[in-house]
Amino acid sequence: MKAFQFVTATSPERARDLLGNNGRFLGGGIDLLGEMKEYIAQPDTLVDVKAVPDLHRIDQTDKSWSIGANVTVAELEDHPDLKSVFPGLQQAAAEVGSRQIRNVATLGGNLAQHSRCWYYRQRDVHCLKKGGDMCYARHGDNRYHSLFTGTTCISPVVSNLAIALAALNAAVVVQRGPNNLARMSIADLYARAWENPISQNSLDPGDLILRVELPVQNRRSAYLQVSDKSAFDWALVSCASAGGIQGGKLHQARVVLGAIANVPYQVQAANQFLEGKTLDEDNANKAADLMLQGAEPLSDNAYKLPIARALIRRTLLQLKA
Amino acid sequence: MPSWPEKHTYIGAHTRRIDGPAKVSGTARYTSDVQPSGWLYGMILRSKWPKATITSINLEKARKLPGIKAAILVRDCPRTVRYYGEELAAVAGTSKQACLDALRSIEVEARPLPFVVHEEDAKDEGSPRVWDKVANLSKPRLDEHGDVDKAFAECAAVVEGFFTTPVQIHNCLETHGNTISWTEEGLTAWSSTQGITSVRDGLAGNLDVPQSQVRVISEYMGGGFGSKFGPGVEGAVAARLSKEAKAPVKLMLPRFDEALAVGNRPSSFQQLKLGATAEGKLHAFQMDNYGTAGIGSGGVTEGGGGGAEIRMPYIYHVPNIRVRQSGVNVDAGSARAFRAPGHPPASFGMESIMDELAVKLNLDPLELRLRNDPSEVRRKEYRLGAERFGWTEKYRKPGSSPGPIKTGVGCAGATWGGGGHGTHAEAQINPDSSIEFRCGTQDLGTGTYTLIAVVAADLLGLKPEQITVRIGDTRYPPSGGSGGSTTAASVSPAIYDVCMNALQQLQERSSITDARGPNWAAACKKLGVEPLIVSGRWQRGLSSSGAGGVQFAEVRVDTETGFVKVKKITCIQDGGMFVNELTAESQVNGGILMGMGYALYEGRVMDRTSGVVLNPNFETYKLTGLADTPEIDVVLLDMPERGVIGIGEPVTIPTAAAIANAVANALGVRVSSLPITPAKVLAALGKVKPVA
Ligand SMILES: Cc1cc2nc3c(=O)[nH]c(=O)nc-3n(C[C@H](O)[C@H](O)[C@H](O)COP(=O)(O)OP(=O)(O)OC[C@H]3O[C@@H](n4cnc5c(N)ncnc54)[C@H](O)[C@@H]3O)c2cc1C
Ligand code: SF4
Repeated sequence: MKAFQFVTATSPERARDLLGNNGRFLGGGIDLLGEMKEYIAQPDTLVDVKAVPDLHRIDQTDKSWSIGANVTVAELEDHPDLKSVFPGLQQAAAEVGSRQIRNVATLGGNLAQHSRCWYYRQRDVHCLKKGGDMCYARHGDNRYHSLFTGTTCISPVVSNLAIALAALNAAVVVQRGPNNLARMSIADLYARAWENPISQNSLDPGDLILRVELPVQNRRSAYLQVSDKSAFDWALVSCASAGGIQGGKLHQARVVLGAIANVPYQVQAANQFLEGKTLDEDNANKAADLMLQGAEPLSDNAYKLPIARALIRRTLLQLKA
Repeated sequence: MPSWPEKHTYIGAHTRRIDGPAKVSGTARYTSDVQPSGWLYGMILRSKWPKATITSINLEKARKLPGIKAAILVRDCPRTVRYYGEELAAVAGTSKQACLDALRSIEVEARPLPFVVHEEDAKDEGSPRVWDKVANLSKPRLDEHGDVDKAFAECAAVVEGFFTTPVQIHNCLETHGNTISWTEEGLTAWSSTQGITSVRDGLAGNLDVPQSQVRVISEYMGGGFGSKFGPGVEGAVAARLSKEAKAPVKLMLPRFDEALAVGNRPSSFQQLKLGATAEGKLHAFQMDNYGTAGIGSGGVTEGGGGGAEIRMPYIYHVPNIRVRQSGVNVDAGSARAFRAPGHPPASFGMESIMDELAVKLNLDPLELRLRNDPSEVRRKEYRLGAERFGWTEKYRKPGSSPGPIKTGVGCAGATWGGGGHGTHAEAQINPDSSIEFRCGTQDLGTGTYTLIAVVAADLLGLKPEQITVRIGDTRYPPSGGSGGSTTAASVSPAIYDVCMNALQQLQERSSITDARGPNWAAACKKLGVEPLIVSGRWQRGLSSSGAGGVQFAEVRVDTETGFVKVKKITCIQDGGMFVNELTAESQVNGGILMGMGYALYEGRVMDRTSGVVLNPNFETYKLTGLADTPEIDVVLLDMPERGVIGIGEPVTIPTAAAIANAVANALGVRVSSLPITPAKVLAALGKVKPVA
């Protein structure tokens, strides 16, 4: 990899200052070091943000939880209360990579991780996302790519946590400028990936994720994914559902799909349809139809549709339990 | 003729690896652990072009970088490269980063040429040729006997199908590589190899050094599977760098390179037709197959068996057959021998079409095998296995398991030759009663250290821990390469011979009539100050060749998501006299896990547009993992009268076929292309709409 400066930040403001023109924040490094070793990313400065105070905390109240950006994926997986309050998030965390990766990977880094498209990650292929002039995947081997393909880059969002957090209506708190804290929904956090092939998320250089805030609304949640292998494999499709159940009826449901679009894929019409409905196969299937309307599979990935359909139904039905 | 004693203490027992503690504690020295004083890193620059004329390569900038001690061209320019990743140049330097920087500073001028990387494209007349003078698709080689057309017309049932298997990459956990020191006194190579002698001969030949001045050492190595017999380009390059830098050079390939240039199993595209009589007797068979061995299709590549042909109709005898096979060149790295070359794809195709035939004949597929398998041993194994596995209770009509998550079962058989070959060994018995065996074989990871200790301990009445085993050095008496399931059958008889000679001589010199066991120390003491050195060699009669083996698979398939989970594999494996059941079982486990990878996960993916390998890592080249591992039930069928027979290869052959048959049994439709991914399962079920 290219030589770089390594500096440690002790406050969010300091982290931003240290970044310079071509710096990157360093969380666990699972993603960033991989990119650097392949010379895909060549920062001059790495700003280690793991020593920033408070970013490693999990604060819980009856109304909401706040999870710091430096909390590791393994800590989410193992947290004694998370499993009962936000089972969907716990399941999503438990499916990330391998235990070794989860021990090191952070929440902030997981949300801000870059594309996993195998063309993007190939050192000698210079695709659109790297500033080249074509997308190799669109007419190439796109078995792992998006189903919603109206975008120029079709590399899907693959963060498990983003999918679960979107279903849980989380807000991401970002340090954006010296006295500027931005509050973004998960949809906001990825919106730019939909518009701009170079981007994988909406963060500007210098934007530092501080924490994620989750409302506790007596909600239930579930996350499921299907991969080629039983474990330590990326999701072909992932799905998280969350909602409250009162008198046997579903309220404020959110269903989110991962690995099938550049953003955690949500469809308002599907969520609205589910409002006040009984949770049964029929309603779950109808919600799936609404979610998947307009999908435009590529040459190699139409198989993701039936998987998505099954996962929507299964995560919704899990909310009953 | 010599023969093994009938009573055993350690032979056939479960002895733990004598090198287990060294391996788990990290003291076992692998090639990458070797650090001779002053050693340098070596690295290879590879072609970024799938095909190009390389007009010039400028090493000047690289040579001037701090820390760089040598820079060489792999071959002179102009030259043509024929695949992405072909070796161009190499550097040696004091740090990894210095070498990486140096590789990036090398200026390569190239004229890109049209290329082709997919078999289906390459066989088309109009596609770019890999070699200018020959068509990519070789003329089919025909193997025919009987009147095939007439025979098909006579059949009561005929089935047809198209079966494909991918290019599989060896992906040994330890990558290819060497640490080489080349001085005026000669060349010493610490090599990750399954053939120290063949590496020695390869280096000597390549570099024009007498064989007597090349020493190859491989104390421990992390897998070869057929891809590590020769020194490879990377070995010759490491030696040349060492000479130029006047320092030892360690050149271990990165994982990335393993997908490009150090071998693979050829693909197959098998159009099959099989017919049987009303009694379920195989009567006619036809195959048209092509596959790619990369740029070197059809030929025998390093280590042998690298061609794309497969042996059909595999384990069955069919009176009327017509088999046509071609190789197709593509711009990708050459194939090499890969654990049971030619067998797993043959087994997959043949056993799949057998199950299709069983469906057509309305027969239990096990019954069809019992009627047609010519091997008595395998038929016995099928019966035994069926009982253990619970075949009768588990087998249902294809697709009849209720609910969206279906279970299914399948079975398949294997055959392998193997056998032993000339091996020399010696032992030094010291007056203090310690004993050391020396043999120029190597431990491919299969447990050869332990095998030698077990044989010696058994014959001498000692404990395996009392035996010091030294192998993996060309200074020891020569043995052959560890490939083709031949090591146990080659080494054990030589150790037997050494032990017999040792006992005889020790008894003579000590005048103790039976120097074994309790008398051992006393006999050794009588040696005085002069140790006893005895040699021995491979003897006929103590080993043989020819193993079968059958496997049963039980799977669970989620018909809504296409996900396949293997629940159980039962393996009945005959060998001869199993020297150490524990390491033999370990071989079976490894073979099954590898076969599972072939069945469900593995396959090199080449990109049409850029010509690169898209999955040169374990993230996207998927291997069987711990969570995928099923219940594995192993029965070793000990047949001591046959002597020692290796089983490294047969145990991986039928796994994929058995799993594929189990999936087809669960679904009622067949996925006829490996690997069986969720995408292919859903497509077979008709749940994926074809994309316009
Ligand atoms: C083999 C493999 C398998 C994997 N499988 C999965 C999987 O199944 N599911 C899944 O979700 N993930 C998976 N991952 C991805 C992994 O979870 C992420 O790489 C990891 O979570 C990144 O976290 P990190 O702390 O190591 O981030 P880093 O690598 O340190 O950073 C990643 C990016 O985020 C930026 N960043 C870091 N912290 C912050 C912050 N606080 N604010 C703003 N930007 C920040 C960095 O600058 C960098 O651009 C896998 C990774 C590998 C290598
Ligand atoms: S999908 Fe995006 S990242 Fe992948 S090749 Fe296309 S542009 Fe590049």
